[in-house]
Amino acid sequence: MLLSTMSGKLLRRTLVASLLMLSCLSPALAQLHAAASVALAKEESGELDLPAAKAHFDTHSACFVDARSEYSYYKSHIKGALSLSDSRFDEQFPDFRQKITIGTLIVVYCVGPGCPKARNVAEKLKQNGYRNVKVFSGGLVDWSHAGFPMEG
Amino acid sequence: MSLFEAKTPMPRIGFPSALITTLRLLLGALFIMSGGEKLLDLKYFALVIAEYQILPSLLIPAVALLVSLCELLCGTMLLLDLFSRIGASVMLCMMAIFIAAMANNLMRGLDHDCGCFEFLTQWYGLKEEIGVGPIVRDILFFILLLPIALLGSNRIPWKKHHRSNME
Repeated sequence: MLLSTMSGKLLRRTLVASLLMLSCLSPALAQLHAAASVALAKEESGELDLPAAKAHFDTHSACFVDARSEYSYYKSHIKGALSLSDSRFDEQFPDFRQKITIGTLIVVYCVGPGCPKARNVAEKLKQNGYRNVKVFSGGLVDWSHAGFPMEG
Repeated sequence: MSLFEAKTPMPRIGFPSALITTLRLLLGALFIMSGGEKLLDLKYFALVIAEYQILPSLLIPAVALLVSLCELLCGTMLLLDLFSRIGASVMLCMMAIFIAAMANNLMRGLDHDCGCFEFLTQWYGLKEEIGVGPIVRDILFFILLLPIALLGSNRIPWKKHHRSNME
């Protein structure tokens, strides 16, 4: 009887403590949940953030495509990226088509989030049969600020 | 006496020869720097020309080389006062082409580097994109080149020195 009363009290205390801990953690959890849902929404819409783009870069699982003009690409670009500019897409695409197969995961980037060229090129690639196309919205600004590999 | 020496209009009244000399030296130095830097990185200049979307891709490398050489040669001619009227006239034609190309791109809503004076970007961090500013600047160069093209000399300077020594 005494034992059961003791274990009941302990159980109640544990429950309350757990509830208190959860209530303390819940704002952080809510933020994490929100961030996760935003990342998930971006991923679903074909957009990648910096860690996801870097993960693809490290595993060599994607072909990086620079949507800026060719002279900007010539000056600097993400290491190993190919140039496929929004302005001269039609001239550059035949070469690109020969190098990159349809099924390849393509990560298109531009200067930064405000630059529409990456989305335009991604759209054009999809129209030309490439289904696995994602946009790295942070672009070259995020990449270079993070100190990730560049060349040019 | 050669044909060019016979028609040296330098000392004409109304436009001081010192002003023409100053313009010649300034513009000559500017075009030498501009042409020289283009020749040093011809591939970059060719890519900028490609962005204008006016010329067929096959012609672009040749045009890039031609424009760079023209600027360098005409700049040297202006600086040395070697057939400076011809040099200024060629630069006038080139300025007219640059102005027309930039105006054309501006009207088409294209937005890119003008490829005019890349050293300004390297030295001062000034980004030279096509727009009203570079067009106005090229019109100014056009106006400044006019007196040299009309009133400058068409002679070989060291030949003149030789003649004066003989006399």
